[in-house]
Amino acid sequence: MKYDLIIIGGGPAGYLGAERAAAKGMSVLLFEKRNLGGVCLNEGCVPSKALLYSAKIYDYTKHSEQYGVKVTGSSLDQETVIKRKNKVVKTLVTGVKGALKKHNVTVVEKTARIEKKSVEGFVVSADNEFYTGDRLLICSGSEPIMPPIPGLLEGYQKGFVLTNREILDLTKIPETLVIVGGGVIGLEMASYFNSAGSKVTVVEMLDKIGGPIDDEIAELLRREYEKKGITFNLGCKVTSFTEKSVVFEKDGKTFETDAEKVLVSIGRKPSTKDLGLENIGVEKDKRGAIITDSMGRTNVAEVYAAGDVNGVSMLAHTAYREAEVCINNITGKKDVMRYSAIPSVIYTNPEVASVGETEATAKQKNMDFESVTLSMKFSGRYVAENEGGNGICKVLRDKRTNRIIGVSLIGNYASELIYGAAMMIETQMTVEDLKELVFPHPTVCEILREALFAF
Amino acid sequence: MLESNSVQFFVPKTNGGADMATAVIMPRQGNTVESCVVSKWHKKKGDKVNIGDILFTYETDKATFDEEAKTEGILLETYFEEGDDVPCLLNMCVIGEPGEDISSFAPDGAKSVNEETEKPKEDIKEEIKAQTDTLSAQTYGSDGLKISPRAKALAEKTNVDVSYANATGPNGRVIERDIQVLAKEGLKVTPAAKASYDQTASYNPTGIGGRVTEDDVKRGSIIETVAPVETKAVAVTEYTEEKLSNIRKLIAKTMHASISEMAQLTMNASFDATSIINFRTMVKANSERLGLANITINDIVIYAVAKTLLAHKDLNAHFNGESIKRFNAVNMGVAIDTPRGLMVPTVFNSDKKSLNDISAEVKDLAGRCKSGNISPDLLTGGTFTITNLGNLGIESFTPVINPPQTAILGVCGLVTRVKDENGQVKPYQAMGLSLTIDHRVVDGAPAARFLKDLCANLENFEILLAK
Repeated sequence: MKYDLIIIGGGPAGYLGAERAAAKGMSVLLFEKRNLGGVCLNEGCVPSKALLYSAKIYDYTKHSEQYGVKVTGSSLDQETVIKRKNKVVKTLVTGVKGALKKHNVTVVEKTARIEKKSVEGFVVSADNEFYTGDRLLICSGSEPIMPPIPGLLEGYQKGFVLTNREILDLTKIPETLVIVGGGVIGLEMASYFNSAGSKVTVVEMLDKIGGPIDDEIAELLRREYEKKGITFNLGCKVTSFTEKSVVFEKDGKTFETDAEKVLVSIGRKPSTKDLGLENIGVEKDKRGAIITDSMGRTNVAEVYAAGDVNGVSMLAHTAYREAEVCINNITGKKDVMRYSAIPSVIYTNPEVASVGETEATAKQKNMDFESVTLSMKFSGRYVAENEGGNGICKVLRDKRTNRIIGVSLIGNYASELIYGAAMMIETQMTVEDLKELVFPHPTVCEILREALFAF
Repeated sequence: MLESNSVQFFVPKTNGGADMATAVIMPRQGNTVESCVVSKWHKKKGDKVNIGDILFTYETDKATFDEEAKTEGILLETYFEEGDDVPCLLNMCVIGEPGEDISSFAPDGAKSVNEETEKPKEDIKEEIKAQTDTLSAQTYGSDGLKISPRAKALAEKTNVDVSYANATGPNGRVIERDIQVLAKEGLKVTPAAKASYDQTASYNPTGIGGRVTEDDVKRGSIIETVAPVETKAVAVTEYTEEKLSNIRKLIAKTMHASISEMAQLTMNASFDATSIINFRTMVKANSERLGLANITINDIVIYAVAKTLLAHKDLNAHFNGESIKRFNAVNMGVAIDTPRGLMVPTVFNSDKKSLNDISAEVKDLAGRCKSGNISPDLLTGGTFTITNLGNLGIESFTPVINPPQTAILGVCGLVTRVKDENGQVKPYQAMGLSLTIDHRVVDGAPAARFLKDLCANLENFEILLAK
């Protein structure tokens, strides 16, 4: 049988692309080599949220007294936490399988390789079986970057050094944990293991944490976690791993920190090896990312790519939309991918969320903007629920067009309210129009309305 | 009877001491015509105009007309631009002497096309408000926007901001359909991009729901794409592209409707044309002496058809899908090839007219069609149509019925054939006839009977004349 579309990779881009394409009447074949749902569902976004929620409940019990609730003898049972996490993952993966089945998507849980382009179409092999399709959508995702640092590989093989995959299955809380890389994954894991009782040390090469987030918010988050006992070593370069410690340099001096476990989370790279892309001439950049245009097309006609594999945004929700853009263009509805209003969230406690420009990027782009920074205490609900909270909300306005170009927040519920800011940016509504929107009261999202009226 | 349609109306309005200036109005071409589109101005403001000069060309959906000057002077003012749909009888322009006060000639609410006003926006807005209830011929919107009167009226009715209409009319003019699109779909531009959005430019929208974003406006019409390597460049062939005239659009619409809605059947026959050829030769030789028109073979066929049709009324009929209307007189549509496209003027009551009358009338109608000044009223009302491709050597074809008529006759060229006459092979001139009928209402046999009668009448033309 010849398929209208063959999708390689069953993560967010792959499974959603398959559903959308099948819903439009295409015959779809989906290959997944590990687990349907991809990194996001199995060893990334979702399982980490299950862990972090357990930590949050545990934190509540420890800090409940200031809210007038006395809890004694609370403890965190890591084995139960992991068991529950696995249940959550299983439920969601089953859901993905069900959705694909409902849409009549053929799923082959094997490693796929592109063989050639024949007159019949693209030929893809898996376990010596051959499949043909008119089009390809490549969603092979990404993998952790493992730099060639002495001791890293050995440590990884011995189970001393972990990636996001292994750390989410730890059934025993390590006494000491060193996290190399203070980005989203590193900070979320730092947050969890700090709550769970580990002595956590973060080693970051840059002089701020949180990657591209707003500088002021990064600083607030760092101070918040320093208060909770996490040690941050910024501007440090890891030079080697011993069997029980991490060695790093700062300003020419060498430091060594003992660790029971080490998490390496310095970034991710597109997974494009062994896919057979060279057999049909798909172009990649020097990082190995497949080069796509704004419509999701690669340089080869009828070959599309979506998700982490294109190396652009590397977020599950970006992947969803990229896959939809590809399917729309494949089925004749012109669509373009926009990256200007993609929200990003760090699910620490407090949460950090942002969308659009930060002051740094807006300056870099020479935009004519002004920004407003408000304390989250302007929100009644925030004050009611966050004893001692010192979150902020920062909103950037383009002076020329009077539209919102960026929003950054630190404070709980930030993850759930950031989409509203994304809508403001994506639709390019003017501040004048946005002022007419009604927000529910009392909610934390009212902080956005407050910020609009500060312009 | 035709004169009244081409007469130019002068509506001189007296205005104090200055009463020399003369207004030229948009003529009413036929009783059913409410407005005409200005196709071209041949003179511009300030030009010297002599009697007989063509001032402007305008068109209805059926024909194009030239408006000649009936007075001389300077073209002092024009009130509409090319592409405007102007209600009939409104003042189009004023001819007079320099310095004359012509303010009273402006159609209600109209502004001079050439007069750029520098009034503050607020003033203009108020002015527009004040004119809302009048039939406004305003050609400028609030921001110097070019807009047709009908578009403006619709914009006011539907409460849309005309400055965001995507102008598709000539010279970047907003026309009625632009307002319809805007009212129905809304403006496809994000609020932030509105300020810099130029409704006459074409952007490559990348925003949500296909909206034009601020970046799109900045970028112009370029979109970043990676050209697929396997796509081969298609050889570009040179071509010219031309927007269809109203006449062409109407032909396209009518012909397509005809083929798609009817069950058309064409049958071919031929007859011995010796009788009509001899008759025509005789008339030609004596036309001057007898005071006859230059009667052509086509006139003879028209005459014969007119005399034959009333015995076959299913073919002299209109069919609307529900009922058939059989006519007791033959209003013969005659297809005329003109530089503007096919036109079909009507010879009314052709069954009651003499061959000479028919010949003269067809010549007159053809001349009007070719010069483009025929009344639209003469282009309707046909009950049957004749189309002649014989002089181009066509031997048979499938004419397309002009709805709601039920038949059309194609007249083909003369060919030499032979026939057996008492054992002798004898050459003769044969003429082909191609009859298309609407098989929904006319069956093959009755149509064939009509063709047979027609051939018999043409083969014995002198007897038909005597009847």
